[in-house]
Amino acid sequence: MHCRKVLELLPKFIENDFSEEERAAVEAHLKECEECRLEFEAMGRLVDTLESIPPIGVPSSFKEAVMRALPAKKPPGEK
Amino acid sequence: MASVQQKILTDTEVIRTVLDGDQEAFAVIVERYQKGLANYIFHMVRHYEESLELTQEVFLKAYANLSSFDSAYKFSTWLYKIASNHTIDHMRKQRAPESPIEVPDDEGGGTYELPLESHGQSPHESLAMKDMMGRIREAVEELPSSYRELVILRHFNFRSYEEMAKITGLPLGTVKNRIFRARQMLMERLKDVR
Ligand SMILES: [Zn+2]
Repeated sequence: MHCRKVLELLPKFIENDFSEEERAAVEAHLKECEECRLEFEAMGRLVDTLESIPPIGVPSSFKEAVMRALPAKKPPGEK
Repeated sequence: MASVQQKILTDTEVIRTVLDGDQEAFAVIVERYQKGLANYIFHMVRHYEESLELTQEVFLKAYANLSSFDSAYKFSTWLYKIASNHTIDHMRKQRAPESPIEVPDDEGGGTYELPLESHGQSPHESLAMKDMMGRIREAVEELPSSYRELVILRHFNFRSYEEMAKITGLPLGTVKNRIFRARQMLMERLKDVR
């Protein structure tokens, strides 16, 4: 497999969405090719770090504020 | 209301309860989605107070249109679609979609700590890791908004590609291409730290 093809498959590996053949071919290539390996590792790290960024918090009063702002009781959607 | 919260109801069941006249049951929906929506909107508009206001408006819009929700669809997709439209509308009106990140400041002008939730990182979580997260967040926030939205939906909100396509109204292929491009842009920007 050529580097180009391997790098095309990178998004599928990020999403864990690849076939058995693709996995075998990519693994074999990565063993031989440092450039692609670094690319895979860097992208994997990027996504891992991205997904471990802590979310922002919502004030505990938020829900109450939304509920207070709802229109006076009547079936929603009816105007 | 108490019974609604004691049992775990599906979104569709909660909505039916609300539509049947139990307004208080809507609190369950707010509880379930406030954090996800606030995070999505925050990373889009890059301003904390503003993102909370917009999040509230999204819930009010959803409430007002609740009877038009088709339970053949996933409620979360419908809700995020409202959030997406509302946020992008708002950003258009602001006319400064690519302005630098605006972080709310204390009166004293000191650095403002965003109320980040810790989700179980050890106290020893390395500075390098925090620094890396900061750099990545900045890089995400510098992406053009149409790319940024997809990265946020995918990697902060964990939406599937199909949901992302429905939320943004983009064809599935475009979603895939753009998120691929977006990750490449992030890699470019983070070259020196990766
Ligand atoms: Zn290669």
